[in-house]
This record gives sequence, structure tokens and C-alpha cells, in this order.
Amino acid sequence: MNLSLHPILVLLIFPGGLFLLASGLIYQWADRKLIARFQNRVGPRFIQPLADTVKLLAKEEIIPTGVHKGLFLVLPVIALAAALTAGLYVPMFGFQPASSFRGDLIVALYALSVLTLTMGLAGANTISRFSLIGATRTLTQLFSYEAPFLLTLLGPAIAAGTWQISKINDYAGQNIWLMIAQPIGFAVSLIGLMGKLELPPFDAPEAETEIVAGAMTEYSGRGYALFRLGKDVELVIGLTLVATFYLGGLANPLQFVIKTLALLLVLALLQTAFARLRIDQTVGFWWRAGALLAVVQLIAILLGRYFTTVF
Amino acid sequence: MSADTNKFVIPIGPQHPALKEPANFEFWVDGETVTGASVRLGYVHRGIEKGAEARTWVQNLYLMERICGICSHVHATAYTLGVEKLAGVEAPPRAQAIRQIMGELERIHSHMLWLGVAAHEGGFDSLFMYSWRDRETVMDLLEKISGNKVHYSANLLGGVKFDITPELAAEIHKGLEFLDERNRFYLKVVNQDETFIGRPRGIGTMTAERANFLGAIGPTARASGVAHDIRVDAPYLKYSEFPIKVETHTSGDLHGRFIVRINETFESIRVIREILDHLPPGELTARMPRRIPAGEAISRVEAPRGELLYFVASNGSDKPERVKVRTPSLCNWSTVLSLAIGLKLADMPMLLTGIDPCFSCNDRSVSVKRGTQDSSMWSWEKLRHYGIEYYR
Repeated sequence: MNLSLHPILVLLIFPGGLFLLASGLIYQWADRKLIARFQNRVGPRFIQPLADTVKLLAKEEIIPTGVHKGLFLVLPVIALAAALTAGLYVPMFGFQPASSFRGDLIVALYALSVLTLTMGLAGANTISRFSLIGATRTLTQLFSYEAPFLLTLLGPAIAAGTWQISKINDYAGQNIWLMIAQPIGFAVSLIGLMGKLELPPFDAPEAETEIVAGAMTEYSGRGYALFRLGKDVELVIGLTLVATFYLGGLANPLQFVIKTLALLLVLALLQTAFARLRIDQTVGFWWRAGALLAVVQLIAILLGRYFTTVF
Repeated sequence: MSADTNKFVIPIGPQHPALKEPANFEFWVDGETVTGASVRLGYVHRGIEKGAEARTWVQNLYLMERICGICSHVHATAYTLGVEKLAGVEAPPRAQAIRQIMGELERIHSHMLWLGVAAHEGGFDSLFMYSWRDRETVMDLLEKISGNKVHYSANLLGGVKFDITPELAAEIHKGLEFLDERNRFYLKVVNQDETFIGRPRGIGTMTAERANFLGAIGPTARASGVAHDIRVDAPYLKYSEFPIKVETHTSGDLHGRFIVRINETFESIRVIREILDHLPPGELTARMPRRIPAGEAISRVEAPRGELLYFVASNGSDKPERVKVRTPSLCNWSTVLSLAIGLKLADMPMLLTGIDPCFSCNDRSVSVKRGTQDSSMWSWEKLRHYGIEYYR
């Protein structure tokens, strides 16, 4: 489906701005509620994520001693802005991306990584020991999942012969679901998304029983609210990307809702099923299993393309 | 960064999400690897031993029960056993059997609580939520017997307050059936869930010699193959008639402690069933004098965390001269500190929880540290004076 809106509306209401923020909160709620139900708990009310955000925004933002003040204040803004920017290039809510050009896949992925980078920087900016360890872990984890995750998203791009998200979306909609054609890529990308979002079992960077809140320990009030919103937005965009590439594309809002929620259900199940990995286990897992599988998948795709063009 | 040693110190506590009670641990880390550890206890010292000297023998029963919120019954049992020994009174057989039932039910609830906490520290919240949900069953059983879920107050000097009727026994059997089934499931999870085993296996491995050297007791030592259990070594209550089997494990790591504790739960369930089927008839209480003859007595019982020792001294009045409590958590701290070195920071919460620490139980004395002064023991007079000056 195509939708032409005024650029200001695109940035402020749909798909950037308000829509992304609202959907981020809704998906955060769905995620929390699903996990709670899997764990035999009641879970939060629908309004809870919004209430949390409003509460955090209303609170005083404490700037701890020993931080670079400007950096401390601007990093959350960059984090949220980067996440929102990535939203412009994906087929949000089943509509054509608001902006599209050749190679926008790389830009979208880069924007998503900026969020993690800013979190690492935010942790390293403070002198809190929990934050420093958290930042180290966040960045260590970034280097472990990023390559496999990127490779698995390149799989569909190579199959479609383009690095433009909207075109990959069209290709995925016209062909057999890539989840069936590239099962390894699908699995690795989904787990890579969990690593990217620091969801359990990959939540060592914010393991509360060890390092309190990791890189976010010193953040309170507005900064913390913005980081959280950025993460929620990243969750929506990540789900949209995986659904676009592997679940036969997103042609209309109904498909968007069904496919991303189905993915979220799987994510929530995976989050409840495992114990937290140590950071060394996480790195080992990604480089021994994740990266290897992603490369195998990539080689399979390249060979497949080679043979189909030759014969 | 601590100024003097140039080491990177990670403080855990006194307030920290991993700790449910206050204590202060400092881990010196090199990257993620721990190179040193120290502990500072005493944040929840409540002066109970001193308080006991100002209360009568009966009042102290309630005070002792409040030393620990998890193993409340076992504290009261140890105290009553000591006082009864001094008075030369023995509780009737039925009362002793009921005490033992309560004690074993308490062990089940304590071990299931530990399973949840340990799983949570390892980041396995699903197991945490499930085991705590199922733990409600045993707490409901305790409530049905005594009317309370935490502080049952089942003990009296010379007996127990509550009888176990056949109907109640049937309900307990039913509850145990459920607990048995659930704990079999948890044993399977602990033994077979690959991502979970990756966390405790091979962490904090302690040989039997080392466990003995460090003075480890309870399930912590039994997981290292030290077959030491007061219920068998020095049977009290009805443990000689309804004996338990000592559960040990040879691995000596955290995983072994999981297995030992879950197996102990099965053993408790078995022995409760046995007692319920052969509950001795008779009175619930024996007559107890108001004044306890002068003398000293030591009573030892096996708390869920290990050996609990009470020393009770009487001067012939209606108040004790001295009550000294040594809780099992205190004996196990050295194992944590010595095993921590060389492990990863991520293992620390699990290692800490591995001994099933109970901070408020083990805070028995205060050492005051002021500024650069060395820590030193203060006498009661000095402490009292300090308190008066402080609040003047």
C-alpha cells in the first residue's frame, strides 16, 4: 500500500514521531504481558508503559558528578532520534517506507546500531562502576551479534538482488516466504534481534543481579525515559524488518499487525525459556554458532543464485 | 577505583538488586574476572541475644522465632530443646513428632524459596516464578496446621500448640503429592536444561577436604560430599525413629548444591509421610516449671541451611542468663570468599546465593569502624555509652 503525506506529517505523526512512539509502547506492553503470562504472573496493565514514561519524564534528572554534562544530556536524544530515523526506511504498518533509496538497508541498520553505541557511550561517560562494566558488556555484545545479524539480513537482500528495503519487501511478497527458503537466516536474525535488544537470555549488559542496570545505572528521569523509548522503537523496527524479509513482506496494516505480533510471541517464548548467558558465553555463542550459521546460509544463497543463473 | 590499591572494585550491597537483605561485598575485578573478595556483615544486627536476657523463658520463645523469617520453627525448636534439657523435661512423643513434621515442612519451603532465588540470580526468572508459585502449597499447609504462613509459633516449652488431626493429615498428604511431582519436574529442569546448566556447572567447585577446611556446613558441604547432618549424626526429636538419609553429591559445584537441595526436599516429603502414617498417640504438652534450674545447655539442630547451635545458660530465675545463637550462614561465608577468586563477575550472585545466606540471622555482633580507626570489638558498656552520646 502506498501513502503520500506531507513531509512534516511524516516526521511528526506517521510513520515517524507519534506513531512509532505509540507503537513502541504498545509492543513493550505486549512483550511484558506475554512474558508475565508465560511465567504465571498477571503482568502490567495496558497503560503501564505510558504511565512509566510519563512518570520518568516528570521526574528530576539527576546529573551525577564526574560525567561530561553535555554528552550526558545529548546521548539519550541521539539514541531516540537514531531509532526514529530508522523507522523512516522500513515498511511501517504495512505502508511503503516514507523514504526509500538504493542501499537504505545499510542506513537503517546503522541507525539501529547507533542506539546501542550511544548506550555504551552513556555508560562509559559516567564514573559509576556498574555503568562502566555495563558499557563494556554492551559494546562487547554489539561486536558479537552485529556481524551475524547483518549477514542474515543481507541474505534476503542478495536473493532479491537489491539493497533497498521497499524492493526487498515487494520481492518477499511475490515469492515463497524466505523463512522457508532460508530457515537458518530466519532463526539467526530473530535471535540476533534479541541480542540487539538485550532481551533475556542476552541481557548480561543489564543483568540486575550483577550490575544493577548496567550502562543505564546513572540515568534517571528524562534521559532514562528517552533511552527506554528508543529501545521500544527499536523493538518495533526490528520486528518489522524481520517480518518484511522473512515472513513474506508487509503489504497492508493487517499483515503488519499479525506478522509482527506472531514474531513477538516467539520472542517472548524464547525470553522465558532460557537462563541468562554470561557475557563470555554470549560472545562464544555468536561467534561459534551464530556467525558460522549465517555464513553457511550466505554461501548457500550465493551458490543457489549462481546455479539458477547458470542453468 | 579505590585510591590505595589501584584496583577496580565492584561493590555489591548494602543496597543492591541481587541482595534481598543488606550486606556489603566488594569484588576486585580485572575485566570480568574476580581477583579478590571481601565481605562486611552486620547491617541488620538487632541485639536479639541481649534482648533475650531481659525477657522470660516463654517470651523468648517468640523472640527466637523471629531471628529468621524463613527458618523460624527451627530456631524455636533449638531454643525449646535447650531449655527443656535444662529443666529436665522431655516433650511427649506426639509433640516431638509434630515438631519434626513442622521442621521438615519448613525445610521444603526454604529449599523451594532458595531454588527460586538462585534461579533469579542466574537470570532464569521463569523457574523463579514457577517454584515460588508451587511453594505456596507448602506455605498453605503450614497455615492450615498453625494459622500462620511464616511464624507458625508451633512450639511451646514442653510441647506443641497444634495437633495434627487425621483430616489435616490427609490434606498434608495431598499437598505433598503435588510438591513431590513439581520437585521432580524441577530436578529435571536443573539436570537437563542446557542453557541453565551452563551457569552453575563447574562454578565454585569445592572438594570435601576444602569444605572441611573452610568449615562449610549444611547443603553447601553436602554438595561437596561431606556426609554431615545433625539429624543423623546427633538425632534429636524423633529423628532416630524416623531417620532421614543424608543427601550428598560429589561434584562440589553450584550445580551439585541444586541437586542436593532438591533431593533433600524429596527426603523431607518421604519422612513427613512416614511420620503422618505412624503419628504417636498421647499428650501434646508436658508440664514445665516457670523457673528453670541453673545450668548450661547446648542444643544442635539441622536448619535448612546447616547446623544451628544454641547455647542456653540459666541462673535459676525466670529469665535466661545468656542465649547464644550460631547460625549456619555464618559458617559458610569463607567458602564464598575463597571460591570467588578466579571466577567471572557474572558468577558472583549465584555463588553468593549458593550457600543460601540468611543475613539477618547471622548478624550476631557489632564491630564498629570509625574513620581510619581499626575495627575493634566493643563491650556492651562502651556500646551503650556510644549510643547515649550519639542520640544526646
